[in-house]
Amino acid sequence: MENIDFNQILSIAIYGSAVGLILIGLYAVLMKKHLTKIIIGLSIIDAGIHLLFIAIGYISNGTSPIFSEKGISLVSEGTKMVDPVPQALVLTAIVIGFGVTAVALSLVIRLYRHHQTARIDQIKTLKW
Amino acid sequence: MVVSPVHFIAVPLLAAFLMPILAKVNKNLLRIVPGIVLTYLGYVSVVLMNRVATEGTIIEVLAGWSAPWGINLVYTPFTGFLATLMIAMSFLIWLYSFKFKKVDDEPALKYFILQLMLTTGSVGLVLTGDIFNFFVFMEIIALSSYALTAFYRDRNGAEAAFKYLLIGAFASTLFLLAIVLLYSQVGTLNMAEISVRMHDVPTSMKVSILVLFLVGIGIEAEMFPLNGWAPDAYSQAPSPVGVAFAALVVKAGVYGLVRITYTLFGIEGSGIGPFLIIMGGITLVMAEITALKQTSLKRMLAYSSIGQMGFVLIAFGIGTHEAVFGAIFLMFNHAIIKGLLFMSGSYLVYNTPNKEIKYLSGYGMKMPVISLFFSLGALAIVGLPPFAGFWSKLYILLAAADGALYGLIALILVVSIIEIVYYFRVVGRLYFGKPAEGSIMRKPTVGGMIAMSILAIAILVVGFYPDIITGYIDAAASSILNTDEYIKNALGAVNELTPVENIIQ
Repeated sequence: MENIDFNQILSIAIYGSAVGLILIGLYAVLMKKHLTKIIIGLSIIDAGIHLLFIAIGYISNGTSPIFSEKGISLVSEGTKMVDPVPQALVLTAIVIGFGVTAVALSLVIRLYRHHQTARIDQIKTLKW
Repeated sequence: MVVSPVHFIAVPLLAAFLMPILAKVNKNLLRIVPGIVLTYLGYVSVVLMNRVATEGTIIEVLAGWSAPWGINLVYTPFTGFLATLMIAMSFLIWLYSFKFKKVDDEPALKYFILQLMLTTGSVGLVLTGDIFNFFVFMEIIALSSYALTAFYRDRNGAEAAFKYLLIGAFASTLFLLAIVLLYSQVGTLNMAEISVRMHDVPTSMKVSILVLFLVGIGIEAEMFPLNGWAPDAYSQAPSPVGVAFAALVVKAGVYGLVRITYTLFGIEGSGIGPFLIIMGGITLVMAEITALKQTSLKRMLAYSSIGQMGFVLIAFGIGTHEAVFGAIFLMFNHAIIKGLLFMSGSYLVYNTPNKEIKYLSGYGMKMPVISLFFSLGALAIVGLPPFAGFWSKLYILLAAADGALYGLIALILVVSIIEIVYYFRVVGRLYFGKPAEGSIMRKPTVGGMIAMSILAIAILVVGFYPDIITGYIDAAASSILNTDEYIKNALGAVNELTPVENIIQ
């Protein structure tokens, strides 16, 4: 048991939890009957994908991707910096996910008022 | 004033968010402002279409970050043609729904805002050259469609919208996953640069990314088996929204499918072409057979819409210049003809229970003009000469014959017969059915009549003189087929130093 690489364990843990979150969310979307639980499942899948995206952009011991004025760059040459693009994208994706969840929950309220139930197996006016 | 492709996104988005304030100033503004915005965008479209015809592709770099670092808008003949079509259809939808919910203003405000958002999303999706920006516009389309589907409280809109949302949210999650995987492989989000670097990606990875993309965008393109949302959404949403689905949302979805398969992955020798033909064929057959047994007019039109998209997928799958020409022509025809069918059809079934076809007997005498419009649309969409639909179907058949795909020709002809049966069932009932007593007719609005007349004239003019449109479609087809030129144009903007390089030096 020599040379246990902490970074390797960390990356396995992050990728593992990302895949785990996606699978948990999938289970909730496919198996649960309550509309709110389905929406929670969708949010969990989203969270898993966001984590995966961040993990792809991460470099162990990397620095912040900040450039400053000419000459006094915060990033000295040769050092690795973390890829900023995935982080920016995840920020956008979180906002989009928030919007979708909000619309979905308002639809659940509408459905509950219309049918007096929020269980998917009891709402069958339209063909599924 | 200098026009640029960025106006297509900035102007309607700004107007949409200003509308709550404008509506407080004067209640009529919320009905007038979308018209002004769309008229201006129509002017921009005309200017840019002329410029793109003479000077070639227009690249608009956003916020000073040139490709591949920043987001760019790529206005090729193909994207320009679709954007112009979408703006024109949005304008007609606005005319058609000018008096929408005239009595209470609060829902009308939301309706006009959401319609503008839908236009922004569709046009933006077509114009963007960045895959993540593409995803953002897809979500703008999706969110406004969900809200528009659930617009009526008394109908079953919420259920249809939830169904749509469930499929749509799941699909966009997969689309995001595809972007994540793609970024991990190629390290860029610019579509032109992805296309350049795609050769280095291992085949297994390529296939998984492609499948995730196809599921993600297949929802909006109504590809089988992802089209379960469409009939419910079309039938539960307000009728102008049905037109918007057929003319904007589905067109944007098909564009996305084509851009991803043609530009990102490359259609030649990759097996994607046959796959698209098979999926299109299944979509077509399933949709048309289901349409045959529908009793509700709007559901029938929705399934017919899915079927037409099956045609488009088949044509894009064949992939020759002639086939792509036919496919783009069919996209154009479907927008105008299905627009006319939805607009006139929703007046026909306005007061009938469950929008059912069987109550339409004898409406040809009661609503002569509307019935005439509907019949014209029906004749055109099944592809009878001399209407617009004939030419697109002809070109697709010729392309199939060139490729010696005789099974496909047989399939298309058989399906056309099914189409004729279910459309003529309605038209026959309109004119030869026994009129029922005492049904109340809905009098069409002036705006609605103008919108339908314009569409009807367009169908006739394109039918008799297809030459006025074929030049644009031909340029569009060459543009989508020529991936190298797209890459050269989109990345050609990199001729000066980017901001980052400026700082480093």
